[in-house]
Amino acid sequence: MTLLEISDVSKSFGGLKAVNRCAFGVEQGSLMGLIGPNGAGKSTLFNLISGLYEPESGSIRLDDEELVGRRPADIASLGVGRTFQTPRSFPTLSCLENLLASVPSSGEQLVPSIFGTYRAEERTAVKNAREHLKQVGLEARADDRADELSGGELRMLEVARQLIRRPKILLLDEPTAGVTPTLQTHLAETLKGLRDRGLTIIVVEHNLAFLLNLVEHVVVMVHGSVLTQGDPDAIRSDPEVVNAYLGRRGSDA
Amino acid sequence: MRVAQLLVLALGTGAFLLIATLGFALIRRVEGFLNIAHAELMSLAAFATWYFNASLGWHFFLAAAVAIAITAVVALVIARLIYDPIKHLGPPILLISSVGVAFLIHGIVSAVIGVGIRSFEIPRLDAWTVGGLLVTPYRIVLLLLAVVASVALALFLTQTRTGKSIRAMAINRELAGSRGINVTKASRATWLASGVLAGLGGVALGVLGTLTTDIAFQQILVILAVAIVAGLGSLYGVIAAAFIVAFAMDLSLLVLPGGYRPVVAFAIVIVVLLIRPQGVAGSREEVTA
Amino acid sequence: MNWVQLAITVVTVVSILGVVTLVLNMQYGHAGLINFGVVAYFAAGAYTYVLLTQSPPSETSLDQYVIGLNLPPWVGFIGAALAGLVFAAITGWPTLRLRGEYLALTTFAFAEVFHSFTINEQRFANGTRGLVGVPRPYREELSFLDYDLALALAALLFLIIVYIIFERMVRSPYGRALEAMRDDELALITTGKRSSRFRLEVFLFTAPFAALAGAIYVAYTTLVIPDLFTAEVTFVVWIALVLGGEGSNRGALLGITLVVLFEELIRAIPFDTIRAAQIAASLEVAALGVLLIVFLRWQPFASLTKSTRKVARS
Repeated sequence: MTLLEISDVSKSFGGLKAVNRCAFGVEQGSLMGLIGPNGAGKSTLFNLISGLYEPESGSIRLDDEELVGRRPADIASLGVGRTFQTPRSFPTLSCLENLLASVPSSGEQLVPSIFGTYRAEERTAVKNAREHLKQVGLEARADDRADELSGGELRMLEVARQLIRRPKILLLDEPTAGVTPTLQTHLAETLKGLRDRGLTIIVVEHNLAFLLNLVEHVVVMVHGSVLTQGDPDAIRSDPEVVNAYLGRRGSDA
Repeated sequence: MRVAQLLVLALGTGAFLLIATLGFALIRRVEGFLNIAHAELMSLAAFATWYFNASLGWHFFLAAAVAIAITAVVALVIARLIYDPIKHLGPPILLISSVGVAFLIHGIVSAVIGVGIRSFEIPRLDAWTVGGLLVTPYRIVLLLLAVVASVALALFLTQTRTGKSIRAMAINRELAGSRGINVTKASRATWLASGVLAGLGGVALGVLGTLTTDIAFQQILVILAVAIVAGLGSLYGVIAAAFIVAFAMDLSLLVLPGGYRPVVAFAIVIVVLLIRPQGVAGSREEVTA
Repeated sequence: MNWVQLAITVVTVVSILGVVTLVLNMQYGHAGLINFGVVAYFAAGAYTYVLLTQSPPSETSLDQYVIGLNLPPWVGFIGAALAGLVFAAITGWPTLRLRGEYLALTTFAFAEVFHSFTINEQRFANGTRGLVGVPRPYREELSFLDYDLALALAALLFLIIVYIIFERMVRSPYGRALEAMRDDELALITTGKRSSRFRLEVFLFTAPFAALAGAIYVAYTTLVIPDLFTAEVTFVVWIALVLGGEGSNRGALLGITLVVLFEELIRAIPFDTIRAAQIAASLEVAALGVLLIVFLRWQPFASLTKSTRKVARS
């Protein structure tokens, strides 16, 4: 079943068309890669899906609900999770608090916060958060402030922050940038595990070696629209794709 | 006829606002933050001029020149001592710091000068009547000064090496540094330029009217209005914005009592920030969450 | 030197301004919202209290104000709180999408518009001349105590209540969400939480307290003039916040205590000439500026020091 349907989406900045009548679908439970040379519009597309930009035309449907026109926070609530090229977190909060801040709590309502009715719920939330930290290997850093983390650890924290929300679909923007090869392998394993448990994932990557070994389906974007799509082997040997990358090769591990 | 007279008045106001805001906008563009103390620098220049001119009896031009030089140096010293060491903390912290600097300068100036009204010892020139309208010679001078200052700044920034360095630095400080541009020197030049402009503005204040130690505070609000209408970070926009705000403020005298004139400026700030925060020439992304 | 009187004055002023500082701490220290117009809530509360409780203008006096409803003090206090709420709504709602310096400037502009209004509108509250001789609330009911002492205790009680409420908020997931918003609003949004809700709530919930503080201030000064409610109040509160460091409620109170002590001690010095007193007042302003600069640099702010919240251990 198609979980995310992108139809005829366009977005310009000034006179420049960053995304041009882009269209593709993402199957539920798939691990998909989105590749293309710099300026192809991949990050813009992520921003369009997550609502940070609004497309000038086209539609983006998640589980048959239209996302276009909604506020980013609402789109996130509907089940879209995303990470950024430079990992975002809450630097002055501890890793544990970072995760706690990413899930709703009754303690975030004004009255309960003053009267303290959230305590039981908080205890459960803390347990859950610790579990998620363990999943990404950060349980030892639970009480450390996020600004004390290394680049790779921050990336894992960001992923954990999204996972704890139980999104329907996760958009990862260049997750291996600045990440050690060992951690990359761990990341690939984690993502496969998540896919096996039903999460739909789209990964934007320049690191083709990492990506083509991981995903089951690839969409190639050039100049804001879809050039072609297919499984990794087909894409790897597709002359059009190679041409698109000519002179601007994505980094290989 | 009243409208025409107010328009003439507005030209003078606009010229003053242009001079006053250019220095402020320059810092915002190049150093990246709003220097609330800019108006206090104007006050410093104004009272220093008064001191040399009225108290010590110097010729006005000499007094003004020395005062402006002092103001430029003070601006530079403050930047090196106070702002540069905390640049890494971000524009909001620098903004708050500049409030502290404003307090500091205001406190010292008012301690030295005391209360009361002061004015320069300059010849009283009668207003000319041109086509039935009253035109004060000093305002004409101010207008010319504004033109000269704008052109000089534009030439400085586009034709001189330091000026070009400053522009490169304004776009991307790190990149400029890695390309071999002497960022420190360019930064110093910027502060001196801003100080000179503040000095000119302060002298203009004293020429146009009487001085009290509270004058700076009133000015900063209108300067902020002009800077915002221009679009924070735009220098050319200041030229248009200075006159837009001046016209709005002075024409408002047709319908509102004089006391509300500054309110017009604040109202403009609010309206612009809510409708088009990037002003005449800025970009939207830097403004909203 | 009447130390008792000085102590009473300090307690009163610290309590009143302390509430405003706590409000600012909630808005900036925790939520990261730069509000350069807090004095407006304070002033709105003060003026509303007076307008509601003042007697109508007599025909013979020189007063030009129009509204004086002669209502009992408790109505005045409720009205003051409401005024703060309304002002926060008017100024908070349109600014929901602004951040950083733009928010600072808009809040500043709103406060100055209100200030200008109080100066220019004679019919509002006598314009610059203001209203003097405002009757102190519950004077007869509290006649068994020295009124100044009673007022100091009432103000202190108010401060303690506000402190408790704000402290509980800060230590809860609400406080955590505010700090997350301060740290990275976009990151918070991508977790599905509407930051605009928090922003508006912070403004709407905290402003009434500052407004009430303004009403209590009127009971203390018995006069309401625009000169008392200038941007200087806003910036003194900012200085207090920075001095206290940490961005915590405790720090905020520490800061305002230091600032008020400083001001009252200077004010208590008997100067020989007016000029000497004026110089002292000016140098005090300069000193506050220096303190702000120094503390901002060497006692870095909330976002740079340890969070004060304890996470429940499982």
